Amino acid sequence: MAYLNLFWPDGAVLPRMVPLDIFHMETGGCAGCAIELRSLSRVLVEGHSDIRFVSTPRQAGLLLVTGSLTVDMAPVVELAWQAMPGARLLAAVGDCAVDGGVFTPGYAVLGGVGGRARASLLLPGCPPSPAEILDALIRWRTQGEGKAT
Amino acid sequence: MTAQVPDLIRSGMPAACAGRFVLDGGAWRDMVENLRHSTLPLLGLWSDGVQIHALFMEGTCPLLASVAVMDGRYLALSPVRAGAAAYERITQDLWGIEGMGATDSAPWLDQGRWPVTWPLHDRPPPAPAPPEGVEFTDDAAMVQAGGTVVGYGPAEGDFHSPFHLRLGLPGERIMQVRTRMGYAHRGLCARMRGATVAQAARLVARIDATATVAHQVAFARALGAAGEQAGADMDDAAMFVGELERIAIHLDTLATAADLLADGRFAILAATLLERVRQACRDGCGSRLLFDVLPPAGDTGRAVSIPMEILTELRTGCATLRRLFWRPRGMAMQARGRGILSADAARRWGIAGCVGRASGAEGDLRAYVSRSAGHEGMGGDVADRLAMRLQEVETAVGILSTFDGAAVSVPAGHGAHGSGEGVGCVEGPTGPVWHWVRVEHGRVAAWWCGDASLLLFQALPGILSGAVYEDVPLILTSLGLSAAGADL
Repeated sequence: MAYLNLFWPDGAVLPRMVPLDIFHMETGGCAGCAIELRSLSRVLVEGHSDIRFVSTPRQAGLLLVTGSLTVDMAPVVELAWQAMPGARLLAAVGDCAVDGGVFTPGYAVLGGVGGRARASLLLPGCPPSPAEILDALIRWRTQGEGKAT
Repeated sequence: MTAQVPDLIRSGMPAACAGRFVLDGGAWRDMVENLRHSTLPLLGLWSDGVQIHALFMEGTCPLLASVAVMDGRYLALSPVRAGAAAYERITQDLWGIEGMGATDSAPWLDQGRWPVTWPLHDRPPPAPAPPEGVEFTDDAAMVQAGGTVVGYGPAEGDFHSPFHLRLGLPGERIMQVRTRMGYAHRGLCARMRGATVAQAARLVARIDATATVAHQVAFARALGAAGEQAGADMDDAAMFVGELERIAIHLDTLATAADLLADGRFAILAATLLERVRQACRDGCGSRLLFDVLPPAGDTGRAVSIPMEILTELRTGCATLRRLFWRPRGMAMQARGRGILSADAARRWGIAGCVGRASGAEGDLRAYVSRSAGHEGMGGDVADRLAMRLQEVETAVGILSTFDGAAVSVPAGHGAHGSGEGVGCVEGPTGPVWHWVRVEHGRVAAWWCGDASLLLFQALPGILSGAVYEDVPLILTSLGLSAAGADL
């Protein structure tokens, strides 16, 4: 993204404009949060919302993680994060993603991604309902999304 | 010859668990040899570190055979039961116990990133350094054909548990499928050991959200068989909540498939009905996804219910869904002939449940459902599987209607737990779900469970071969695959 320096001061963070593109990753929980996110995605598509779930991290501005982080999924999360262009943000949804939930660290689980990386949005719940997730996303967006890393 | 294997197993020494018999090495070998000529389906194979246990289903009755592990080995079942291969590889990964004569000994769960080797072994040896990359071995035919190799998963931006497929596409059609599992492995067996029954029940409810009630019921029944009170007197509640879950999961699958087939009218109606059911579950049962509804994890002595108007809406909605599904150029026509699982393949892999029934392989652990329900075609393709799910939704709505909107009381669990061992099986939304548990002084000493997903993952190469790449998400959706339930 070096060409951006032609138009913006060096090191300036570009505010990400609408729409919000979300790449979702289930990192090894029971997939309950993913099921609720699927319900939410249907609502967003039907409502022509500017919040969208995309199928590749290369299009995404927000990496949304659900489930506890298993040892085998950790490198996959890292690859997805590195593949995201420009300003990018991390969200952890559900108890497992926030702090591990019932899946405390063990030989196969590292715990919650929220405890291991700086997440912009932490939403506990087992699982949070689609309405709660949407509410949190909208509230977080209006409160200042521009703190991207 | 079929009847000989159960007799052979019963000739073993009865164990603490009802229906479990301990065989000596010679009897186990005879059993394996006789299984070659028998159709007795194998549901699961696991170890507790001392013995190997094989779970067979004799009709709807579980039958377990056990054999002591000698020098870290036992005689493998995979040469005579194809579905046993993944269980043997998992046992090797977790315990370091090797199946002699196994058809495949490559790791299934362990991708080399765990900090220990054989984590459930008494003295787990340290693990070597993790591999830098992943190596796959392609078939000679695939190498000769050349073409493209495409990966699917573990992160596709969709909403299911992670797994990876390596698909070989020499031309338009898939020729080779390699599965790579273990991404969703959470070490549940290690977590369960030493947990109190209440703690274990909370974990059990979170094994797999697409079959949480089935896991709760199977675990409670296993506890009931072990002499605990948790599994007793909850048949009505288990049936009620189980059918509610079946409706929700099938509607979710149908809505997702309709999205993939671009049938907007079907997708919107199915998703609307699903949301109505989820909200009714929240209001009437306390949890949208029905987590922790049944004892011993659930609230004590609560009642579950669903309003009659929801059932009426579901009945009307199902009639519309059926009309939309079978209309000209509807989902049935579009999905016809894709992702075929033949009846022979289903029996070979031991696949039961709604996926097996859609292929024509009979088998249902629900005693309260009549077998005479007619179904258009049993070719085992995506259309048949979706039609079977739609039909099961209608059946489940009919079953729930018999309660006339009355609340069903869930018996209260109790805090005191003794010792015992038991197995419980139940028909989940996708297939049979079973739990085996050994409780000592109120704590879980050994545990294992299984569901249909592991067998389905093994059958994937056959189902996907010949399909085009664009059909893969649709076929996987119609199968109801859950890596969370398979990896544990």
